[in-house]
Amino acid sequence: MFLSVGVRFEANVEALNMVETAGNYTKHRRVPYLVEEDRKLKTIYVPAISGESLAHAYQWSLVKEALAMNLPVCEDCAKGEFFKSMNKAHLKKKINPIPDDSKKIEAAIIKSCIIEDVGGFLYAEKPPVRRSSAFQVSYALPIKSMALFATAEPQLHARHAQMDAKGKKGNVSEQMIYYVETGTALYGFTFNLDLDAIGVSSLGAGPIIPEEEIKARREASLKALFRMLSSAQFGAKLSRFFPVGGITELTVVVTEHPFVVTSPIYDSYVERTKKRLEVIKEAFGEDYFFDSTNEVPEETLRKAIEYLKEKGYI
Amino acid sequence: MVSLISFLKVEVRPTGIIALRSLPQSKMRNAFRYPPPSTLIGALAYPLLHIAGDRTETLEPRRNARSSADRIRPLIEWATVKVSGMPRVYGSILKINRLHRRSVESAVTSFPMAVMYGESDYTLTLLYLLNDDLISASEFSVKDFERAAWGISRLGSRESVVSVESVELGKGTIMEKEMAETAYAFLLTGKKVQGGGVVQGVVDWKEGIGNYSKARIIVMFYPEGKVEVEGRLKVIDVGEEVVL
Repeated sequence: MFLSVGVRFEANVEALNMVETAGNYTKHRRVPYLVEEDRKLKTIYVPAISGESLAHAYQWSLVKEALAMNLPVCEDCAKGEFFKSMNKAHLKKKINPIPDDSKKIEAAIIKSCIIEDVGGFLYAEKPPVRRSSAFQVSYALPIKSMALFATAEPQLHARHAQMDAKGKKGNVSEQMIYYVETGTALYGFTFNLDLDAIGVSSLGAGPIIPEEEIKARREASLKALFRMLSSAQFGAKLSRFFPVGGITELTVVVTEHPFVVTSPIYDSYVERTKKRLEVIKEAFGEDYFFDSTNEVPEETLRKAIEYLKEKGYI
Repeated sequence: MVSLISFLKVEVRPTGIIALRSLPQSKMRNAFRYPPPSTLIGALAYPLLHIAGDRTETLEPRRNARSSADRIRPLIEWATVKVSGMPRVYGSILKINRLHRRSVESAVTSFPMAVMYGESDYTLTLLYLLNDDLISASEFSVKDFERAAWGISRLGSRESVVSVESVELGKGTIMEKEMAETAYAFLLTGKKVQGGGVVQGVVDWKEGIGNYSKARIIVMFYPEGKVEVEGRLKVIDVGEEVVL
């Protein structure tokens, strides 16, 4: 089973993904948006949120769901440090001595950590072992019809320092000004989850954990997505720049084999996705689940989870 | 006798970003502007193996590791692409802390990517020429290939999620010509081109997919719009268009 989700969310005055810090100025991540004006191409930079940022948030949600369900999470991932068994030092925490058989290494990692099972890993030693992530996330970009209204504006802030009784500064500035660029946009992104990959070897060794645990891990993966979206716990600077807004539209599709919703950055994405699903059903006799809402996103996600339960998949 | 070949024409829409890391890489990573054939085969291999219930990603992991996409490589005669709109390679400058010779230092890096995002609607048309004889002798059917085409979910790495908007399965006629007009990428060697486009060195996918440390580089031409090509050409008509 393959789950694909298209999300549109409004985020006003957010600092969800920052790059290029220069002194006291922190810039929001941006991407070029190409506009044709008087037969010439013009570039406008609009705020964006990287897939990496969203993927980190999803994996952190998965940590919490997995621990709540008593599923294995390794020491590094439990702290939110997704090193993913990248070298001997990290792998030794899972298996010691380290075997020289890649299938044994893969099995040890998957058995001891659901995050690396679902999120993939790369052990970059000899023998190298890699596993692709079972989930995929696109960039979150301003939807195309509103991209020109998306802004990235610097906000001035001041940090005050404690002064001594005589009012001497010493080496400390009394005030330090700094700028944080805040973005405002109606964003769209796509999230895919390949449920068949969970708990199964990517080196051809078949299922690595028992069927019941595979089902539990699939459920945790779905719950993590539910939790991440409903709580809006993704991106940076949430403590002081929590975005004003929320999910405005959500579309969920579940198919037997891979199928991706048309990206929500396009206005016609819901209709296009429906039409494409009909072709799949007609040409290949494949059943699917489809639901879309601009009211209560949690309800749509719940229905998708129910559908997978009915199918005996979780 | 006219010889025919099956083709799959797959129209995909990007989600704005196509991240194609070119290899080999130095400290400052580089990105392809257009997807090379090895990426196109990898993109189709993932859903095709999913249909077969095969979750294998890596073949012979110990010696000469290759991608499982290499399994379907012989079933594909040629893979090429047509792109509407011009992708723009862009990468934010990132400040990172790194460990270098046991000391922590600050470094600057970037993850460039091809941005396909703007007022006009960007589309990529992926074109696969199939080896019918080898497919009929394999565990797959042409119908599996067609369903797999609908399941292409990503081009290249990480956040390059795409959606397939249409799939056309058909038969093309193979012809030999000295001149042709095409919008699809082709091998540049031995050809004269009239028109604009981008020349890109890519790995020779026929040598295997997945391990490019010693791979031969082939030169491809990616047209911007249609170009006229001269030379000893093998041309296949795919609907209203031709590929070389």
